[in-house]
Amino acid sequence: MTVVITPTMIGQVIISGLLAGALYAMVALGLGLIFGVMRVLNVAHGPLLMLGAYTTFWLFQLLGLNPYLSLLVSMPLLFLAGVVLQRVLVHRVVDAPELSSLLLMFGVSIALVNLAQLGFTSDVRSVEYLTGSFILGPFAFSKSRVIACAFALAITAGAFVLLKKTRLGKAIRAVSQSREVAQVCGINVQRIHLITFGAASALAAAGGTLVAVMVAIQPEMGQVYTFKSFLVIVLGGAGNYPGALLGGLLLGLIEQLSSLFITTQVNEAVAYVLLVLVLLLRPTGLLKGRS
Amino acid sequence: MARWLPAGLLVLLVLLALYPMHGTGYGIRTMLQLFMWIALAQSWNLISGLTGYVSFGHVAFFGMGAYTAGILIGTLGWPWLLACLAGGVMAMVLALVIGWPCLRLKGPYFAIAMLGLNEVLRVIVSYYEGLTGGGNGLSLPTLHASVPIYYAMGLVALSVTALTYVIVTSRFGLRLMTIREDEVAAEAMGIDTFRYKLYAFLLSAVGPGIVGGLAARDQGYIEPTSVFPLITTITMIVMALFGGKGTIWGPVLGAVLLFTFQELVWARFIYLHQLLFGAIIITVVLLMPRGILGVLQQKYNLPRTI
Repeated sequence: MTVVITPTMIGQVIISGLLAGALYAMVALGLGLIFGVMRVLNVAHGPLLMLGAYTTFWLFQLLGLNPYLSLLVSMPLLFLAGVVLQRVLVHRVVDAPELSSLLLMFGVSIALVNLAQLGFTSDVRSVEYLTGSFILGPFAFSKSRVIACAFALAITAGAFVLLKKTRLGKAIRAVSQSREVAQVCGINVQRIHLITFGAASALAAAGGTLVAVMVAIQPEMGQVYTFKSFLVIVLGGAGNYPGALLGGLLLGLIEQLSSLFITTQVNEAVAYVLLVLVLLLRPTGLLKGRS
Repeated sequence: MARWLPAGLLVLLVLLALYPMHGTGYGIRTMLQLFMWIALAQSWNLISGLTGYVSFGHVAFFGMGAYTAGILIGTLGWPWLLACLAGGVMAMVLALVIGWPCLRLKGPYFAIAMLGLNEVLRVIVSYYEGLTGGGNGLSLPTLHASVPIYYAMGLVALSVTALTYVIVTSRFGLRLMTIREDEVAAEAMGIDTFRYKLYAFLLSAVGPGIVGGLAARDQGYIEPTSVFPLITTITMIVMALFGGKGTIWGPVLGAVLLFTFQELVWARFIYLHQLLFGAIIITVVLLMPRGILGVLQQKYNLPRTI
């Protein structure tokens, strides 16, 4: 049985890809920030996203709070968690070889998932809030995805403005370019590290809140987002923050197109092959990043 | 002490070889798992401890061996020993396919590339249902062979350790360690770094491949999530790190200590098991990144070949 692929289907797939991609970009921006500023690969990024999703779930479940409004809680909460994590653990491995920082973050990741299992059980939860789609001509836009995409784009834009236009953003970029020189210029590097980890965790939390409405919430939901975020920052170029946006949209498109032309199950394999190819052929990413 | 060490080891080996005659079924299977972890930690040590290239996807070779052996035994009716050896060969083939591109990557990028590997293999194995049984897994014909598998597993653990000894005391090992200390300098001295990294990578894949096959035979049932868990990679790394990476006996020591700890303590705290493991990882990384033997080596000026 062959499925005829019509232009409408391709259009639909591209739309879905871009909608998903904006969300990936926002989540990956957090991972990219930590990697750019501290050279630490934060494998606990996905579990932080999971905590964001649970925050939204509980606020919705217990207080009936609008899931999108819970961004105002989940982001500051996880910002704080990120700062604590950085202050207590991560700052000790910033200059260590990658084996140390990666393993440490794995330890954190395993512990967070287990804590979530203990605290929230492994039951699959969901936030029943927004279902159905907007219909526009031949295309359907899932409501929750459109709204998630809009929020993701807005938050990503906000992060870019912060990075580009404010003194704080300038300091973050300076530390990411050269820690020593930044220090000599009077920037408090430890403080920038704290803020970076906090901001990155807040971005993960925003991702968690936005996906909470769309996918099943359970303690192990975060791991896929860690891997996807790695893909995004490699595609976009590690240390190149606008590259994360491009990488995110690209990953969304690739996933959707490969599910259309091959099958949904091999998405990850296709994305992985692409990751290795990009690492080999353009190790600085599609936009020029830092080697 | 140096004179007593070989004699002590010999006695230990004889005792271990005689153990199945007196041991209970449970005891034999516990020891067999310990051998498995020694072989895994030691194999990881071969590439990552010696060259400094951190492989975060080593469980991929384990899973590859498990599925190769599973399919050969279950579908084609091969004898299990042969099928497990084939598992080792296929793991090497996988290492060649992955290592050829990925070993050119440096530092964190190699780690990222390896991190995705087990995830992808799990997806592929789930997808090709006709061959692998997909998500339903693969059942092997019943066979009570704990004792032969005990010896086979022990032999693999012993061989990988012996191989490490041979490598560390050879010029090949020196070249690998030069790469670890300074790859640019190694290249400047005329070492074909890529070739030696690839050799080390291939050698580090055989053990997990065979062990994966043996574990599949021992358990009699495999499924994608049970043979490709990231946690297996993390466990072997933590064992090697705890004992002392880059040393000969470190991974063995780490495997014995952590495995014993696991059997004695974790089994009693089923719900806290992962949390404790996370805490152990963090403690080892922060407090003793050089491992037990690494610290002893530094303090007492012990030889490199320990």
